Amino acid sequence: MIDWTPLLLTFKLAAVTTMALGVLGIPLAYWLAYTKNRMKPVVEALVSMPLVLPPTVLGFYLLVAFSPSNSFGQWLERWFNLRLIFSFEGLVFASILYSLPFMVQPIQSGFSGISSSLQEAAYVLGKSKLTTLFKVLLPNIKPSLLTGAVLSFAHTIGEFGVVLMIGGNIPGQTKVASIAIYDEVEALNYTSANTYSIILFVITFTILLAVYLLNGGYLKRSWK
Amino acid sequence: MNSLQGEIESIQAQGALSLVKIMVPGAVLSTVVIDTPATAPYLVSSGKIQVLFKETEVIIAKGADLAISLQNRLRGVISSIEHGELLGKLTIETQAGEITSIITTNAIRQLKLVQGDQVTAMIKTNEIMLSP
Amino acid sequence: MIEISVHKKLWSSTGEVSLDLDLTIKEGSFLTIYGKSGAGKTSFLRILTGLLKPEEGHIRVYGKTWLDSQRGINLSPQKRGVGFVFQDYALFPNMTVEENLFFALKKGQDRKTIQELIEVMELGELRHLPPQSLSGGQKQRTALARALVQRPQLLLLDEPLSALDAGMRTKLQQLILQIHREYHLTTLLVSHDAPEILKLSSEVILLEEGKVTKRGAPIEFFTHKRVSGKFQFTGEVLKIERQDFIFIVTLLIGQDVVRVVADESEVRELAPGDKVLVASKAFNPILGKLKIETVSR
Repeated sequence: MIDWTPLLLTFKLAAVTTMALGVLGIPLAYWLAYTKNRMKPVVEALVSMPLVLPPTVLGFYLLVAFSPSNSFGQWLERWFNLRLIFSFEGLVFASILYSLPFMVQPIQSGFSGISSSLQEAAYVLGKSKLTTLFKVLLPNIKPSLLTGAVLSFAHTIGEFGVVLMIGGNIPGQTKVASIAIYDEVEALNYTSANTYSIILFVITFTILLAVYLLNGGYLKRSWK
Repeated sequence: MNSLQGEIESIQAQGALSLVKIMVPGAVLSTVVIDTPATAPYLVSSGKIQVLFKETEVIIAKGADLAISLQNRLRGVISSIEHGELLGKLTIETQAGEITSIITTNAIRQLKLVQGDQVTAMIKTNEIMLSP
Repeated sequence: MIEISVHKKLWSSTGEVSLDLDLTIKEGSFLTIYGKSGAGKTSFLRILTGLLKPEEGHIRVYGKTWLDSQRGINLSPQKRGVGFVFQDYALFPNMTVEENLFFALKKGQDRKTIQELIEVMELGELRHLPPQSLSGGQKQRTALARALVQRPQLLLLDEPLSALDAGMRTKLQQLILQIHREYHLTTLLVSHDAPEILKLSSEVILLEEGKVTKRGAPIEFFTHKRVSGKFQFTGEVLKIERQDFIFIVTLLIGQDVVRVVADESEVRELAPGDKVLVASKAFNPILGKLKIETVSR
């Protein structure tokens, strides 16, 4: 029998990260889609960095930044009683950064794809930007929201390098499934490694399949 | 459509209607229009104007001294006649220009109209349109 | 009275155009903006709604300042309360026809307004449908109804009927005219269609390269010949038949087919499909009251 804790931890991390990304990603995507600010390309490039950077680079800098031996890490610990390295909170923080493009990009392109006249029509009818966002824009980019959420979720499940760097390998706290698999292989425990791997494979495949089926349906309905 | 060049001699407006007298070479034509100098800027004394009327509204009489209510009279000579089964078309040379009249073939026969005849072409006051 | 004096640089497919507008519009009038694409017609409407900000100028509507670049006043679209019908209708796809109208309702506004508009615009059977399943004319009616929910004093229509077939156009033109009169709306229309302009507007401006180059009554705009005849229509030539030396011309005027006798001099330059001015003295027509039976739709 395998230890289920790493799997549960993985899904807990993915769920918390996705929710946090929803709150952060929507305003950021909105800003990127509609801003005329000259800083936009810079922000866009920064958001996309995790796509190209080795995860270990991100993990390394976070480790350095949050280390209690450094003044920022000390400040966090003193004022917020927050230690971000080798803790679950630290994993969440790193995962948010790491999966940011997977949430922001689909939503940003969703916003850009909506005819600008919809937004303008709401403004002319006297509706505020916030009302327009919640009543007009978001309901019309549901497929993009779903894609963003699922990709972030799935991507967090697949995390390895960042987690290893900043989280370490504390059972029940930071030892997620991907780390557990690595551990089992190191210990030549191929059967357990296989079990973890199959479970991850099946679950992520099911999630992605469900999304593509659902989004396909959305497309068909809105094109009619 | 017949079209003659003229010049407005006088305008008598009352309510929405105006009685306009127009000088064309050899005659004075009058018309009633639902316009006044206030609604139609081209209604000005001694302004140049085009007088328009449909061929089918031109009445033809032979002889000169007619006891008839029609005021708009143009004297001229028939320059050509075309006969159709029901209708006929007369082209008349007047001092004001060439005008065309379409009347029934029966009427042409009755008046024994032939090319070169002296005739009077007449148009009812309410059949004349104006155009600047 | 609406007073507009604005300047804005625009970039169109033909290059840079400087939009310089300086005009006043009387309350309750129906003004059409006519001109080639790229002349700045849509930009004109967008500046009025506040969706486009001019570089400088001022706009005063019924005594209230909407824009004054010198004093730094620029009322947001939300505060201008203009009724605007977009070229692509801009109906919210996530709402039904009825929800689109309810969305437009101001806080505390009587919900009966919606019911009334649904009846006037004949949207009753469509009220629970999503916009995607509507025909062009139905979308147009919904968009028009939505623009009227807040009872605006100014209605702006950006080529609202260009995508519709002839029959639907005529019907909607009638509806727009009816609304314009009933609600005493100042209406601004962007249109390319001469018969439509003749039918609807009380005044036309011609916009060329961002400037108003001509302004006047519609009839003076589209008829080279101004005639005094008051029985005037624009029609389309359907058929020209010769009979001896006269011609019988069949015309489509609005929805009706009529026949007119014409002389050779009149038909010489005409061909089926041509638009013509049909004029007669107002003394000839006779009037007879029709007994109309109500026809169920």
